[in-house]
Amino acid sequence: MTGDGPLDPGVAAGDVDAADAEDGEGPPEIDEGRYLYCVVSVDEGSPVEAFEATGVSDEPVSVVTNGGIAAVVHSCEEVYDSADLGRVRRWLVRHQSVVDDAGEAFGTPIPFQFDTILRGDDEAVEEWLAAEGDRLRELLASLAGHWEYRVEVVERDPPSADRLEETDEELADLRERIDGSGEGTGFLVEKQYEKRVETLREHRRAELTADLADRLAEHTREVHELDRSPAADLAGGSGREREGETICRLTLLVAEEREEAVGAALDPVADREGIEVRFTGPWPPYTFVPELGGGEE
Amino acid sequence: MKPSKDEDALVDLLDVVLRDGAILRADVIVTVADVPLVGIKLSAAIAGMETMTEYGLFSEWDARRRAAAVDRRQYDDGEHGPLDVGDESENGE
Repeated sequence: MTGDGPLDPGVAAGDVDAADAEDGEGPPEIDEGRYLYCVVSVDEGSPVEAFEATGVSDEPVSVVTNGGIAAVVHSCEEVYDSADLGRVRRWLVRHQSVVDDAGEAFGTPIPFQFDTILRGDDEAVEEWLAAEGDRLRELLASLAGHWEYRVEVVERDPPSADRLEETDEELADLRERIDGSGEGTGFLVEKQYEKRVETLREHRRAELTADLADRLAEHTREVHELDRSPAADLAGGSGREREGETICRLTLLVAEEREEAVGAALDPVADREGIEVRFTGPWPPYTFVPELGGGEE
Repeated sequence: MKPSKDEDALVDLLDVVLRDGAILRADVIVTVADVPLVGIKLSAAIAGMETMTEYGLFSEWDARRRAAAVDRRQYDDGEHGPLDVGDESENGE
C-alpha cells in the first residue's frame, strides 16, 4: 500500500495494477465527464455557491442546478478503478463524505452509486437534469426528510446445542440415538443432529427478526432485511471480530422526526440479556433509491 | 438508544456506497457496471478495513465533519441532524 501519508491523491484508472484485471478489459474512456455524487433539491436559500467539498480523488466538488434541483459533481476524465484496496476504500469514504455534506446542506439527497459518471461538461449535466427533472423532483419530494438507518442485532452467546436439546424433543431424541449407536450409524445420525441444530437456530433468528420488524413497523416507512453477513465476512478476516451470532441486519427508511421513536423501539431489544443492538445513521437513503433513466431510448 | 455515526458505522456503510445508491441508465452515462477492478476486489477491500485508521483517514474524516459543522452555522437555521461525531476530539496532530 502507498505509505506517503494520508490521502495521497489517488490515481484513477490506468493504474499499474490494471493489467491484473481478470478479464483484461480496460475501463471505459471519456474525454470529459462529471462524477455524480447525488441530486438534491435547491431553492433561493440553498447554499449552492457556498457548498464546498473535496471529491473522491481530491477534486473540488461543485453544484450544477437546473429547475429547482441540483447535481453535486466533480470534473473527471477517467473512471475510478484500482486494484489498490486502500485507494478504493479512500475513494468510498470520500464519496460518502461528499454525499453526507450535501445532505446536510440541501436536505435528503438522491445518492448515486460510486463511479457514476456523466459524459460531458456542466452543460451536459444541466441537460440531463432538465430531461430527468420530473422524475428526480418526484423522488426528492418523496424522500424529503427521510434518512436511512441500519440495525444489526447480535447475540453474544447463542444457545449451545446442549441447551437446544432441553427444549427440542427431536434434537434430544437424536442425541440419545447417537449415544446409543455404533460408529457407522452414529455418523449419519450426527449429521442429522447438526442439521436439526441449524434448523432450530434458523427458526430462532427468524422469530427474533419478525419480532423486531413488528416493533419497528409503525415508526418506519420501509424495512428491508439484509444478508446476515456483510461483504466483509465473505472475504474472511473482517476487521472487527465480533463475538456471537448475527441475528439479523435491517435497513430502515425513517422520517427524521421518528428517529427517537425507532431508538425507543429498539431499547427493549437491546436490554435483553446477551443481545447487542447496533443502530447507525442517519445515512443518505442509498438502499431506497431506484434505478433511474432508461426511458430515453 | 441513539443512532451512532462513528467509524465502525461508516465501515459498514462502504459496501453500500459501492453496491447501492441510485443506478443511472442513460445514454449520457459512462458504463460503470464493467469497471473491472473495483468489482473484483470489493469484498477484499471492505474486509481490510481495519487498516483504515492507519491511513489517518478517519481522523481526517472527523476533522472535515467538524469543519462542516462550523460552516453550516453560517447558513443553517440551526436544526441539525443528530450527528454523533463528538464535538471534542483528541486530535493527536
